[in-house]
Amino acid sequence: MKLTTRQFKQTARAELNDARTQKFLQILPQRLSALRQAAYQSFTDADATHRFGHAIREEVIQRLPELLEDFEKNALANGAQIFWARDSAAANHYIASLAKAKGARYVTKGKSMVTEELGLNEALALEGIEAWETDLGEFIAQLLGKPPFHIVGPAINIAVEQIRDIFLQKGVLREPTLDPVALGKAARQFLRSKFRDLQMGITGVNMAVAATGTVINVENEGNIRLNKSSPRTLVCVMSLEKVVPTLTDALHMLRVLCRSATGQKAGAYLSFDSGPRRPGEIDGPEELHIVILDNGRSAMYADPHTREALRCIRCGACLNTCPVYGQVGGYPYGWAYSGPMGQVLTPALQGLTDTGDLVRACTLCHRCKIICPAGIDHPSLLLYYRHQDVQKNPRLGGRGAALGEWLGHTLFSLAGTRYGYWRLFTKLARLAANRQRRGDWIHGISAYTQGWFQSRDLPALPEKSFHERWEESKKAEDKR
Amino acid sequence: MKDSSINSREEILTRLKAAARAPVGPRPVLPPAREYALDAAQMQKLFVEQLKAQGGVAHSVSDSAALRAKLAEICRQEGISRAMAATDEVVETLDLKAWGAAAGVEIFLASDFPERNAYTQAVFDQVQAGITGADFAVAESGTLVLVHNSRQPRLISLAPLIHFAVVPVQRIVPTYEVALEKIFSAGSYPSQVSLITGPSMTADIQATPFRGMHGPQKLVVVIVETW
Repeated sequence: MKLTTRQFKQTARAELNDARTQKFLQILPQRLSALRQAAYQSFTDADATHRFGHAIREEVIQRLPELLEDFEKNALANGAQIFWARDSAAANHYIASLAKAKGARYVTKGKSMVTEELGLNEALALEGIEAWETDLGEFIAQLLGKPPFHIVGPAINIAVEQIRDIFLQKGVLREPTLDPVALGKAARQFLRSKFRDLQMGITGVNMAVAATGTVINVENEGNIRLNKSSPRTLVCVMSLEKVVPTLTDALHMLRVLCRSATGQKAGAYLSFDSGPRRPGEIDGPEELHIVILDNGRSAMYADPHTREALRCIRCGACLNTCPVYGQVGGYPYGWAYSGPMGQVLTPALQGLTDTGDLVRACTLCHRCKIICPAGIDHPSLLLYYRHQDVQKNPRLGGRGAALGEWLGHTLFSLAGTRYGYWRLFTKLARLAANRQRRGDWIHGISAYTQGWFQSRDLPALPEKSFHERWEESKKAEDKR
Repeated sequence: MKDSSINSREEILTRLKAAARAPVGPRPVLPPAREYALDAAQMQKLFVEQLKAQGGVAHSVSDSAALRAKLAEICRQEGISRAMAATDEVVETLDLKAWGAAAGVEIFLASDFPERNAYTQAVFDQVQAGITGADFAVAESGTLVLVHNSRQPRLISLAPLIHFAVVPVQRIVPTYEVALEKIFSAGSYPSQVSLITGPSMTADIQATPFRGMHGPQKLVVVIVETW
């Protein structure tokens, strides 16, 4: 997937002025947050449940290689085939070659962020294989060529007129209608024929159980179950941090995942696949291929700070609680993962060269950290990225500070660590600031400080500092 | 391709193992789920409440004769004339073909089809309903647990617009753990286990809720008190 994080500010500005985006941002995140809050009340002890989930994800990131080895061993014993992909190119090549070998002219897909990350649809198209998104929101986003707006509702902000037009244009709809239900039914009919004659289906993975070699998917529509049931070949793509130790751990995380994502106790369908269909079964895949994707994660793992972002279970609760996401929506985040989740993942996987604005688009309010069912400390990570950026961390592609910023900080530290310079600096600064005073307030000093003053005023500064007054009063006392 | 996977595997695991890691501490205390304290009647009540909250329909009947009558009644109301049935240990005992002949519902079984494609065409296009049993029904969220195997094909509970599930009352359990521990304690695991909570749903256009997006529009669960 093409990275557009460089246009963060530009896209954010456009979205701030987009009436439709603003309308949905005023409803969707709050509603989902409230549903989550209510759903957590069904736990005996919501806080203990929250902490227990953190402990599971902590264990996952500390025991990651061993868990992956266990998962592989057990998945192979179940009859699944495992492909380890170091990057997008390897994963896409494997999947495209498989589709060709199976004679599939097209494939269908369940909603999966990881295949967005891979840019799988584009890679398959280059090989002459059509990829159909089958989650309704993702299907609409695909037809329109738009990135997902929200992890739960990828096209929830799209105007119904626009959906009607694109459905008519692509032959999904025959008679024009603006009824969302009728539009949904048209998509059902259209995609049903794809499912019925399907050779190969592709899904992501919500959890992979090390102890049993089972892959688990969560959904509401049934498209993932159709992807896993109808075709003869099934490919499940998992980024390597999706593994969990045991089935019991998976059930705990499923409970918090469903509640955090949509406020449901359980998604309509949770499917647990342990290998391909067994002899005598009339449906289900003859071959189950599990692609374990690295794509920068093992490098990210080496750094104990960035490793923390691998806890993420992609529930989207952080999007719904984030005041920045709540203003700008999903598009500015510029890659497969939006909201705070994207702000901690994208820089680690794509480097800081293009994501400087992304890691700074945060007020450090800590709401994401508090709500995160996986125990990620997003604000600390964002501070870490900002620090690594100015420190020119070579692995993360840190850019160093801009000349003006560097000069300012160097001079400041020069003055701040030498008493005489400091006295001189504060005296000059006071003089400069007070020259601009209007009554008791200063509303700006120079063009350089406009940004700082945009949302603040400074009270007028006294003529003399405390130190100066102290010395004067001592001198006066000595004279007496 | 195989080489690429083997090389990547070594590379990835070596890199992961080379990282300095913290020891894993003990897990925090987690109080048991409330549902374990429920008796059978309370579990049944909770199951039905939760199922309805997710848009499912629940009926309760006294025995298998009453079940047959109930199914016939619903099929009449819904205008169902063709249905596909699983042959799991619950529905197999019902002799649905004979029941269907009397009730005016043509019943298909997966074994009626010579090969997979014919079965797939039928389950997608020719039947209006799927009839299955359930291995477990989980009270905590109103969830059905279906273990897929040769007697419980995957598409019967998924492709038709209506899914009827027959649940003997003693199959209601408090939590997912009780069901899945039983299923996974056998030596080999089933190829697929589905946890079904309500009908197929979406709200992807304008946040307007809509049932039957890809799977069933209606999920009708009939609980049988004496089995």
